[in-house]
Amino acid sequence: MRNGKIISVLVFGDLVDEYMYEKIKRKIWPKGNSDPCIRCATCMAVCPVLRVTPLFPGPKQAGPGAERFRKEGNSSENEWVDLCIGCHLCDLVCSSDVPVSELTLLAKANYLNKKGRPFRDWLLSHLSHFGWLGSLLSPLINPVLNNNHFKWMLDLFLKIDRRRGFPAYQYPTFRKWFRKHSSKGGKKIAYFYGCFTNTNEVEVGKATVEVLEANGFEVILPPQKCCGLPMLGNSDLRGARRMALKNAPSLLQAIRSGYDLLFSSTSCGHMIKHEYSHLLNIPGAEEIANHSFDLFEYLRNLKESGTLNTNFKKLQIKAAYFAPCHLRSLGIGLPALEILSLIPGLQIDNIEEDCCGLGGAFGFKKEKFEISREIGKDLALAIGRINPEIILTDCEGCRLQLRQLTGLKVLHPVQVLREALRNPQSSVESVGMPEKIL
Amino acid sequence: MNYDLIIIGMGLSGLMAAKTSVEADRKVLIIGKGMGGLTLFSNSIDVLGILPLTETTPLRDGLSKWILKHPDHPYGKMGLEKIKEALSSFKALFPPPYTFQAINESNSLIPTGAGTFRPTYLIPSTMIGGTMIKKEKTLVIGFNGYKDFYPKQLANSFKCRSVTLSLSERPPSEINATNLARWMEQPPFREFICNEIIKHIQDEESIGFPAVLGLKDPIVVIKDLERRIGLPVFEIPVLPPSIPGLRIFHRFKERLIQKGVTFLLGYSVSKIYLNGSRCEGIEVFNPPILTTYTADRYILSTGRFMGGGLKANREKIFESIFNLPVSLPGPIEKWFGHSFFDKHSIHRVGLSIDSSFRPVDESGKPILENVRVAGTILAHHNFLEEKSREGIEIATGYWAAKNAIEQ
Repeated sequence: MRNGKIISVLVFGDLVDEYMYEKIKRKIWPKGNSDPCIRCATCMAVCPVLRVTPLFPGPKQAGPGAERFRKEGNSSENEWVDLCIGCHLCDLVCSSDVPVSELTLLAKANYLNKKGRPFRDWLLSHLSHFGWLGSLLSPLINPVLNNNHFKWMLDLFLKIDRRRGFPAYQYPTFRKWFRKHSSKGGKKIAYFYGCFTNTNEVEVGKATVEVLEANGFEVILPPQKCCGLPMLGNSDLRGARRMALKNAPSLLQAIRSGYDLLFSSTSCGHMIKHEYSHLLNIPGAEEIANHSFDLFEYLRNLKESGTLNTNFKKLQIKAAYFAPCHLRSLGIGLPALEILSLIPGLQIDNIEEDCCGLGGAFGFKKEKFEISREIGKDLALAIGRINPEIILTDCEGCRLQLRQLTGLKVLHPVQVLREALRNPQSSVESVGMPEKIL
Repeated sequence: MNYDLIIIGMGLSGLMAAKTSVEADRKVLIIGKGMGGLTLFSNSIDVLGILPLTETTPLRDGLSKWILKHPDHPYGKMGLEKIKEALSSFKALFPPPYTFQAINESNSLIPTGAGTFRPTYLIPSTMIGGTMIKKEKTLVIGFNGYKDFYPKQLANSFKCRSVTLSLSERPPSEINATNLARWMEQPPFREFICNEIIKHIQDEESIGFPAVLGLKDPIVVIKDLERRIGLPVFEIPVLPPSIPGLRIFHRFKERLIQKGVTFLLGYSVSKIYLNGSRCEGIEVFNPPILTTYTADRYILSTGRFMGGGLKANREKIFESIFNLPVSLPGPIEKWFGHSFFDKHSIHRVGLSIDSSFRPVDESGKPILENVRVAGTILAHHNFLEEKSREGIEIATGYWAAKNAIEQ
């Protein structure tokens, strides 16, 4: 296949020869180029924020539109630029290759760098630093986190909206659990579990490990910190870069030892795979990107090569699947939906709705909570039409939002896959599945 | 990843090709770098609006005569029966209540947001009422602050009255087509506007709205409006983005994903692999990752200039993915008419194909044996003048896929 003769190569609208292609490929596209925008307004039709508030002028104006005025020393940044939720949907629907959300992100970074970020934003983007403490003290902290007086105080002093539910911490952490777990398998594979799995959704990590082991892999955990996405969400590029620089060496080491790197969180995954190289210029990022895979993308590759363990038991569940924004930006289709549809008995409907509205820390901020909730309402309505028993989605942010919006059980798809792979006779510990299949 | 078919382009022709292929149990990947022209322009399905308008002769009579005179046209290559089969396949995707129907199997005139009438063939249920618009008997509704629809202008040309509703009390958000469509799905909003409308009705017999009556469930919206107002309600197409076009896009997307099609919205093909006269793979660049997808057959449905299928520089016009030869309407001096609204023969530019939709060179010899071409990128048609855009997209998308499958 690779020996095929290449007759033409198209790079962002220009026919170039192979040599130029290699050159341009490495340069990626020019940052901040708004010229290709033809003002067709398709992005305006999909922007979740524009849909619910007049305060945000929409991607067309915030990105390429305002960009024309940001040149020549004129900063032209406004408060509204901070309302971009970072879903990337504008980028996906654009037929002119305009890096819409990136233009907005860079403008937002400029604006907040000058204006300064409140302590709250720092706190929300550095929560992972305190995850170990949260986990250790979880019996004490969890009741406090959802105590009304405490939430009033957070609301009053830090402007963290009191209506937002906080996720509970768990003990032991995934990492602690893994230390006692002996992973065995023929081939080794590295796993980037992410902070939230480590301290708040340990079952996602356990399920990932068990599913990989059921497919004959031995899982290893390379040393890792927060991927940096929470900082990037606050357009703190410097902070994001700091985290990326901490992760890159150990991820590279794992990859150079011959392991592929998997992630179960599409948000961490998108950050590592795409933002490390293109936006943050992290040394070695391209090498990392080329060897890292979304968990279900990897399982789909196993299926392609006929090596996926499909010894599934029947699961009588009616589930709805939601594709997170960052999954869409990975450009791999909906591999979780493809794999889950192989499970006998499992009825799974794709939720035809875009963006849950949480946007990471976005949905916790007092001035943005209403926007976040209003975006989510459309999703909740769509779920109501399906009327599922459980909801499945690959992103922890979406899971948080969906739990609060619907009150339903919301899981990572890998938790259902693990359930399908479990021996019917084995004792089933509680994994948060609906009672009837336990 | 390996597929039976890879479809490049996510406009109506690409979606139609994907639907046709997956319904024949093929493993399909569809890739497109944006939502396609569908969400900008399409409302109803034009097949050949240029035909003289008569209420008694069905479209097929005019179309079959027209086909005889235009053997090079994509319609000429397929013939009447094949066009009909493809249109039926499209209609089957829209079961009641939101259907596409032709009135008396003929073209009908529907009112437009510019205050004109345009001929079209398959009309969505929500727009059927517009064909019966009568002088002084329709009330046109607009919304204060909605910049893409001017009810007074319409009322002037249709010789009827209009009302511009003020939404100042309503949800704080920009007033655009998408937002209006969203609010329309909320019963309290409908109640509010209906109460306002009722105050203004004199002896009107129908109510015309801009085409924003809900994205997911327009029939529920329209029935509720009719119940509250007590008069028939219809939609009038407006400036982009097109809510009815989005409905078509979402319906296709829903069906394709449900059937297991890999749906890659937002990505362009950066490179292709050829081996002799066969395409062996495409490469997709999502920085910094290059992913290769392979398939037995490929369908190219990337549109003309707006879709990015054709590109032009100062020297030439070229096809942007395979660099296929482009059929030009004579030398450059003949490409353009004198003024903007004149006929421009450049509108016939595109790719030439053989009877099985394979791209051909100047001598008519197929260039790529496993690539088919569909949609507006094809040469020898001028969909703007002929008012044939959707008909060409549906029919060529359907038959390019059929040909690819049967190869």
